[in-house]
Amino acid sequence: MTLRRPYPAVGIGYRAAIDQWTHDHLGDFDVLEITVDNCIDGGRPVCSAIYDLVGRIPLIAHGVGLSIGTDTPLDEGYLDKVGEIVERLNAPVYSEHLAFTRVPGQDLADLLPVPKTEAVAASIITKVRHIQSRIPVPFLLENISYLFDWPDSTCSDADFLNLICRETGAGLLLDIENLFLNSRNHDFDPYAFLDSLNAGVVKEVHLAGGITMDEDFLARPYFVDSHSHAVPDEALDLLEYALKRHAPANIIVERDDRFEAASELLDDVARIRARLVNTIGHAHGQPAVGSAG
Amino acid sequence: MASRLLDRQARLLDHLSSAATLFGEEAGAPVDPTLQGIDRGLLRLEARFACNRRLGKIAAAFPRTFEILGADQKLILREFVEVSRPTAASTLANARQFCEFLSARWRHEPPKPAYLPDVAACELAMLEVRNMVQDHEQPPNKGGSYGRKGNIRRRRGVIALRCAYDIRSIFARTSGEVMPPKRDVAFAVTLPCDSSEVRILELAPAACDLLARLDDWVDPRTLDAIGEQENLVSYLAVHALIEVTEVEVGVGGPFLREPS
Repeated sequence: MTLRRPYPAVGIGYRAAIDQWTHDHLGDFDVLEITVDNCIDGGRPVCSAIYDLVGRIPLIAHGVGLSIGTDTPLDEGYLDKVGEIVERLNAPVYSEHLAFTRVPGQDLADLLPVPKTEAVAASIITKVRHIQSRIPVPFLLENISYLFDWPDSTCSDADFLNLICRETGAGLLLDIENLFLNSRNHDFDPYAFLDSLNAGVVKEVHLAGGITMDEDFLARPYFVDSHSHAVPDEALDLLEYALKRHAPANIIVERDDRFEAASELLDDVARIRARLVNTIGHAHGQPAVGSAG
Repeated sequence: MASRLLDRQARLLDHLSSAATLFGEEAGAPVDPTLQGIDRGLLRLEARFACNRRLGKIAAAFPRTFEILGADQKLILREFVEVSRPTAASTLANARQFCEFLSARWRHEPPKPAYLPDVAACELAMLEVRNMVQDHEQPPNKGGSYGRKGNIRRRRGVIALRCAYDIRSIFARTSGEVMPPKRDVAFAVTLPCDSSEVRILELAPAACDLLARLDDWVDPRTLDAIGEQENLVSYLAVHALIEVTEVEVGVGGPFLREPS
């Protein structure tokens, strides 16, 4: 039996390193996710290659450089650029990480956690509302993977995300690989996390494959979100479970390493579609792409 | 008393970008109160990821430089992360930082081989031109004299570069070692409007020097030694290295002409 619901579009995050490969396989994807920072900092050839995709396949916008968690006002210049890019891509949705990467004078370009407290949530809520007033498409927040947490965190991951999303109406970009890694690294039940999320809050999904790091300075091996390998079956199990309570418009596979094995992305997409058939049934008509955030 | 969040975030970034954290040399040091309760091993792992990502951007920007550095890479990169904290996320910003670091280092220790500074400068110039906006995306609208017919400016996507070695062979080769000939040589590093491939063109030294001066719109008649400059301007225009303004009566603004 088929449920009446939007059928998720399945695609990959566009990477300039596999531009030609992506063009050659455009028909295998319903959607591509564009990292807006590549349009800002990637240089003219990269920008041209990205804008060349407009009209050929639906594009959605994703960011890594907003640093919404930095305890300073948002960078208005950055938001101006994001607004222009979202419009030029004709993207129906814009997403960013619930994280910080920089402070004035220092930029690690690494997604770091914020303390999960009500005070920090209040600050993020104000910023999300501001973004929503500036960027005229639904805004989604993404859960990050984190190796360490701030000792003064008082909320669970799910409570923190629920609070911000409930107060702002923002959707959640659920990175299932991040959830999977965090649950392993920090010993919590990822299914309980999914049960705790506000019903219907997940508007998009990220999937990827990571690695295990075992160093002499670590107490035990840690799982790391390297975006370098095939999506693990455990993550697809979590996807199937999440789809019972949520109707994401897009499911994106991320890849940032081992591009020589890019064909694994096609396998990942096929495996995701098989799971969708298990959970939702066969697609009717066009996949969703736009987010009802 | 609890610190402000921003102070704590700054202390965390300080810690994660410090050489002591990256290389595990902080073991005996007192714990920063801001970071108490956070596992030091995990901070070191996070620091290493961030650093590797940054160095990956730099390596991608300087493929030939890194290849020539060879076994010295490790030592040089370690020195780099010790003295150059990350201040911006972009590849270009980090590449500039790396080039500044190399230049400073070479003032104390001569580069090996001697042509390496030219290779690094050329690779930075190639990255710079890729990052320059397209001409039509950034009209020169700051109230200068651009609108006067015949004014000229260096085209966006062009950099003038003087080298002590003719390093073009380094970029042309596909494999094997090449020793570039030592001779003063002037280049224009350029990304043509209709191309995604950076080109390195040899220029007459005087043309290169003039090109370097043309940051802003200028009336070529105001340049020194007008007679000689006229030929140079024509030369640069023919090679599409400069823009020339034209004003059309009734159109209401300048448009840019790209000589073919």
